[in-house]
Amino acid sequence: MLNNALIKKFESILGKNNCFTEPEDTMCYSYDAFSAEPVQPDIVVKPQNEEQIKYIINICKDENIPIVTRGAGTNLSGGTVPVKKGCVLLTTCLNKILEINENDMYAVVEAGVVTANLANAAIKKGLFYPPDPGSVNISTIGGNVAENAGGLRGLKYGVTKDYLMGVDFYDMDGNYVKGGGKTVKLVTGLNLPGLMISSEGLLGIMTKFVLKLIPKPKFSKSMLVIYDDVIKACETVSEIIAAKILPATLELLDSFTIKTVEEATKIGLPTNADALLLIELDGHEAQVLEDFEAVKDICIKLGGNIKVAETAQERDKLWEARRKALSSLARLKPTLILEDATVVRSKIPEMMKAINDIKNKYNLVIGTFGHAGDGNLHPTILTDKRDKEEMVRVEKAIDEIFAKALELDGTLSGEHGVGFAKAKYLEMEVGSGTIEYMKKLKKGVDPQNLLNPHKMGL
Amino acid sequence: MDELIKELKELEELVLQCMKCGTCQAHCPLYQKDLLESTVARGKISLIESVYEGRLENATKILKHLDYCILCGRCKENCPSGVKTDEIFLKAKAVLRKIEKLPSWGKAILKIVMEKPELLAKIAPLMHIGMKFGAKRVKNDIFKPILGSFSKRNVKQIAKKPFSKTHGGFHKAQNEKMEVYFYPGCAANFIFPEWGEGIISVLNHFGVSVYVPEVNKCCGIPAATLGELETYKKMVNENLDDINKRDCEYVITCCPTCQYALSEMGPKVTEKSPNKHFYDILMFLDEVLNVKFDVNLDEKFSLHTPCHYLSPKKANLKKHLEENIQGDFVVLENQSCCGFGGTFNMKKYDDSKAVGMSKAEEVKSKNVKKIFTPCPGCAMQLTDAIVEVGSQATVEHPIVYYAKELKNNAF
Repeated sequence: MLNNALIKKFESILGKNNCFTEPEDTMCYSYDAFSAEPVQPDIVVKPQNEEQIKYIINICKDENIPIVTRGAGTNLSGGTVPVKKGCVLLTTCLNKILEINENDMYAVVEAGVVTANLANAAIKKGLFYPPDPGSVNISTIGGNVAENAGGLRGLKYGVTKDYLMGVDFYDMDGNYVKGGGKTVKLVTGLNLPGLMISSEGLLGIMTKFVLKLIPKPKFSKSMLVIYDDVIKACETVSEIIAAKILPATLELLDSFTIKTVEEATKIGLPTNADALLLIELDGHEAQVLEDFEAVKDICIKLGGNIKVAETAQERDKLWEARRKALSSLARLKPTLILEDATVVRSKIPEMMKAINDIKNKYNLVIGTFGHAGDGNLHPTILTDKRDKEEMVRVEKAIDEIFAKALELDGTLSGEHGVGFAKAKYLEMEVGSGTIEYMKKLKKGVDPQNLLNPHKMGL
Repeated sequence: MDELIKELKELEELVLQCMKCGTCQAHCPLYQKDLLESTVARGKISLIESVYEGRLENATKILKHLDYCILCGRCKENCPSGVKTDEIFLKAKAVLRKIEKLPSWGKAILKIVMEKPELLAKIAPLMHIGMKFGAKRVKNDIFKPILGSFSKRNVKQIAKKPFSKTHGGFHKAQNEKMEVYFYPGCAANFIFPEWGEGIISVLNHFGVSVYVPEVNKCCGIPAATLGELETYKKMVNENLDDINKRDCEYVITCCPTCQYALSEMGPKVTEKSPNKHFYDILMFLDEVLNVKFDVNLDEKFSLHTPCHYLSPKKANLKKHLEENIQGDFVVLENQSCCGFGGTFNMKKYDDSKAVGMSKAEEVKSKNVKKIFTPCPGCAMQLTDAIVEVGSQATVEHPIVYYAKELKNNAF
């Protein structure tokens, strides 16, 4: 617990209006978008510039206060829950797009820039920032880097790590560190951007980024494919990739999700379908049209019934089915647990079958949708956290889903991070030696373990 | 306190719908300004939850956060989980108001506005005169009061006589084909009587007889936003009783917030429903009367869509303007709430004004000369901000132009 003298120290740097210690204020930073017990920090600070961050670090280091850096708090693995209390440091005021360089195709942004704001600013200059997490209108670039956020375009365009060229951050001694830079080729020293991506705020406080931009695709074409058999839909995904075609988007919805979306939106989805694929190709028009015909042939061969979007309005309608998946499921039960099991693409049919078996075994409501093209599935468990008996079954089901994902050469998390939600599973994936190495690394740069402690089990 | 916690706990089913995704951040006009979690719906909901789950001891402290809300409803409209934020906040405020009473001056004002409409109507002419002598004219009928906290505001002149006094009663149309009940609401009654006059003349022109209540009773929403839910219920009941007894099919409004208070939120808290269809005047012209106008403007104009305009109709509003008013229509990038929020503007003027100013800056920079909006609250707020930034634009309701067009064509 902080004493008055300490609070005054923070206030002397940040001003009273940017320090919050009243319980009704700090309570608002006790959670993120992951369904877990809230933990209230002792103080919340809202720095207005980088200089103030340096001083905050110094106080926290001297007083042994844990620091959790927080953007919009949209994490789905508890990454910004201050499990050891201490100080929550908000990056929301560091929200300037400092540069968009059209010639060299990069952007320099502060940590608190909302992802969609960067994407829109790039589009205005004919450029493209592809990572588009579901929270694109809210989440910040700092959070995207910390969690290595993905999105619907991951298959062709990759995720945040594929666009991170440079990162500026402060270490726990308050030193300014500059990793990477603005050149396309850069092999000087250790790859610090590579180290900071997915680091969930454990290794430093990130303030500024250089991000790669690419030319905006000139042409795109979308279609919705309806299947009687989810396994056939999954096989379609594998065959498209095997045919050396990379759609920008290749999304899957299972039968439960289809019914739920249709009930909520009445957009005319076939409620008797076992699965839907939403496919979008983009790029040069001639290439897109050629690939499109090939994709259509594969879909038809595997029993898919195709609806092609001929206009922008029709495209929007097809996309609505995917965009509304999570929100439609969220309306069914009070507690929604969105998981992030990811497997190699050829194993998607097996993973889908396993999720179905686990659902039946534990008698749970699970809707599955996700980025089938990159193997990233979101089995979404609908429950009620007040039902303690059901929550025990949910926990067991999650254990089995992750175990199966790892068995299928997969990973615990395709885009949501580890946080504390998946910390207990981490060793299953990476092994004890790797955990030990991570611990050494963490101890080396943060010997007091003050930067977002307890996340990833570190 | 136990009773209060029990009452807040009754909101649990509504509160649990919030999956804490934070989508509301992108749509909350105050969050865009403050960037604080306590400002946004997710934060407020978790505070209510914290009280009834015993994690926050002093329940009264959360009232200031619940009060810091324009009640624009954009969080509800855009919530993926369909959380009824407006219902949660209004009910929670009413519960907390039991231990933190409104100051007596606040109660007195509410009592006059809600329960003494005749007295309010009598005071109006005095306020009209008071404005002439106690304020500086800044533009046509826009004044800046000289004294007190009102001196920061650019306000429209108060009507010499309220609209309900001058136009209360039945206005029969020639070739009558139907009758409607027109509920003017306080702002049109005292500030924008020309909107009401426009509505009567346009409707009469198309064979619609109009009944205007001789005493305008407030819809009650200011009481609800201050946590006085019982007063709100009383006002909704009185208005719905009056509306229900009139023999017609439609109620016409020119204030989306009044319509929301009486036809959407009202029935949820009173369990009494109107037996008529509520229509904003512009959608009534489009969807029931199917009439079009051909107003030609030779200046840049734009549209501000009010937050409480029924969500499915919001898109229709732009279409309506494009189909009825010809000229250089500029779509503003800033589609935010105006920041008014009725009592919010009274309690937190600087915060309220800051939200409106960003839109006014765009209006000025794009050299827009006219902003159309079908909400008197938005019109007051935008007028204030537009004058403040030094723009020459005026804020208008399209109905005034339709009435003029019909009048001009008659000669």
